[in-house]
Amino acid sequence: MDFYEYLVDNAEFLFSDAVDHVVVVALSIGIALVLGCALGVLAHRSARLRPVILAVSSTLLTIPSLALFAIFIPLLGLGTPPAVTALVLYALLPIVRNTVVGLGSVDQFVLRAARGMGMGSWRRFTSIELPLAWPVVLTGVRVSTQVVVGIAAIAALVNGPGLGNEIFRGLRSLGSPFALNFVLGGTLAIVVVALLFDAVFVLLRRLTTARGIR
Amino acid sequence: MVTTASRVPHELEFEAKRAPRGRWTLRQWLGMPLFLAVVGTALYAWVSAQELDSIEQRTLNAGELTKRVIEHLQLAAVSTVIVIAVAVPLGILATRRSARFVAPVVLVLGNLGQAIPSLGLITLVVLLAGVGFESVVFGLVAYSALPILRNTMVGLQQVDQTLVKSARGMGMSPMQTLLRIELPLAVPVVLAGIRTALILNIGTATLATFFGVQALGYVIFQGIQLDRTPVLIVGAVLASGLALLVDWLAAAVEELLTPRGL
Repeated sequence: MDFYEYLVDNAEFLFSDAVDHVVVVALSIGIALVLGCALGVLAHRSARLRPVILAVSSTLLTIPSLALFAIFIPLLGLGTPPAVTALVLYALLPIVRNTVVGLGSVDQFVLRAARGMGMGSWRRFTSIELPLAWPVVLTGVRVSTQVVVGIAAIAALVNGPGLGNEIFRGLRSLGSPFALNFVLGGTLAIVVVALLFDAVFVLLRRLTTARGIR
Repeated sequence: MVTTASRVPHELEFEAKRAPRGRWTLRQWLGMPLFLAVVGTALYAWVSAQELDSIEQRTLNAGELTKRVIEHLQLAAVSTVIVIAVAVPLGILATRRSARFVAPVVLVLGNLGQAIPSLGLITLVVLLAGVGFESVVFGLVAYSALPILRNTMVGLQQVDQTLVKSARGMGMSPMQTLLRIELPLAVPVVLAGIRTALILNIGTATLATFFGVQALGYVIFQGIQLDRTPVLIVGAVLASGLALLVDWLAAAVEELLTPRGL
């Protein structure tokens, strides 16, 4: 069975795995975006918390993926919950760091001008700081997504959903002539998913960047 | 941090995260070792308090665990040494004047390559090269070459070109300029890339258990498959602790090797 035949025969299967993969990644990134932005704002505001928050989130990225997936099994069981939890933790660092960098690069004079115009701290945050920092934050989210799309393959180990299952199918049939097809199919599909996500981010960047700084 | 980010394109912010910073404080020197010592002691106390059945005892004994740790460190060390030996010279070559056109191509290919999942890449390598230590090392090298290659190139490219020109004007040969001006100035960024690669290798080495090499991933996977929580926890904590310890050591080396002037 050559690779083309394999693709034709398994198109439906690959597609549903790819959809699962996208859903798990999107869910994790969504949660990580909210959590990471909140932590980033906190780190930006408090000089005392900043090193702690940055150190903890970079420690999380250092932990081997298999270990991080596994450690949540006793608490959350097998399947999607430990997978999403681990992926959220992996996605945090780039988002937190870029939020801190983005907020830090907002010109102080602009903020003072806003204050002079009578804007309260909440309005200064939502209509000045956040829009100005947003392109940098979004870059962080994009980096996180690239990292998470690849690591999500390992989620198959904890019975998680996604394209990792296709690679594991190949792993289990190591030595059979079909193994290469499964592994290649799963791997290439993940690369395609990663590129699609990247394209979405290019679009998002266009659509969500404030008009004045585009 | 802001200055680091603005010196390199947006895509590189992530890799360039560990750029040069100030000298270390006492807390940086002692924080991680103390934390790991506490976690290690807690883990030991917890496992000692457990009533281990025969299956758990087979994995959770000093001799067995030491073997796994050594196997793990061997994988990470060998693959990191090889990847440094391969990727740093390649990065230097790609930034030489005669090969300047190669650099953007390598960076674009590199960004594409980042999308390849570690598990898929290593499985492919093992499928083509066979199960065993060498193939896993080969897979790790393939996966971790990118950050070193990229950081070597970025590190050399960000060297102020007027410095290079002055060196040439003073009569230094291209080789002397490279060794005495460009490389020392690129050291912090190159070291950051090496550290990233080392951490990738330590982390990805846990996957070696699927390819016939029983490193710490073996302990973790035994815990999952046999449904033995203590085994799983010990494997995961040991693998994480090892990664954090090596990362701390690498950071310390980075700190010590950065030329004083920087």
